[in-house]
Amino acid sequence: MPELTITRVFDAPRELVFAAWTDPDQLASWLGPHGYTGSAVTLATRPGGAWRACIRSPEGDEHWMHGTYREITAPERLVFTFTWDTEGDLRAETLVTIDFADLDGKTEMTFVQTGFPAVADRDGHHGGWTSSFDDLAGFIHHRGEEDR
Amino acid sequence: MTIPVDHLSRTFAALADPTRRAILARLSAGEATVNELAEPFPMSLPAVSRHLKVLEQAGLITRGRTRQWRPCRLAAQPLEDVADWVARYRPFWDDGFDRLEEHLRTLRTGSEDA
Repeated sequence: MPELTITRVFDAPRELVFAAWTDPDQLASWLGPHGYTGSAVTLATRPGGAWRACIRSPEGDEHWMHGTYREITAPERLVFTFTWDTEGDLRAETLVTIDFADLDGKTEMTFVQTGFPAVADRDGHHGGWTSSFDDLAGFIHHRGEEDR
Repeated sequence: MTIPVDHLSRTFAALADPTRRAILARLSAGEATVNELAEPFPMSLPAVSRHLKVLEQAGLITRGRTRQWRPCRLAAQPLEDVADWVARYRPFWDDGFDRLEEHLRTLRTGSEDA
């Protein structure tokens, strides 16, 4: 399945990095593109809990986003759904999985966002489909190569 | 590039079923008939046909029109649209993580001063 993966190393222990994701004031201070300000962040940090956040552009446009926590294992792992409130083609629900690994006091953060509706994760009783989707993703990638 | 939401929603709805995902995975290896596709599944042929219809309506597969067995083929475009759509999140997060880095630096500087 197509996914977005971003890996970053932060010069801070993972407790601090994890808190930057799960503390509303901290999340508001960095979420969003350069020049934006976070506001009105509410995080019910428990499995099944809802989160909601708003970022404001320099021009004053507000963009709301929301989701539900799936897994919260401090300071190792955070899983939540992510959906823009907006109308239009970014409205579908995505799933974000973040792993925090300790590198001698630094933190390697692996951020993965899949464009797969989270409902699909709940029907994972059909063993092996994930790996078949890896094949499918490979197929798509391969096709892309042929097009170039 | 803007992808109409109804397309994406339809693609996602079609993908939200494990049998349909397995059918697509099988088709990524090459075309197959309905009978061949139905074989691994503990369900009736009509049930598999219904799944194929959903996949076809979502543009994820095409069916041969001329040959007697109407073989199914994977059509990758809707999946590529999904990939493009996810990729549009990259600048949003990359920017945010630059700011997160800055935020963490500020925290550490603050704690060293204390």
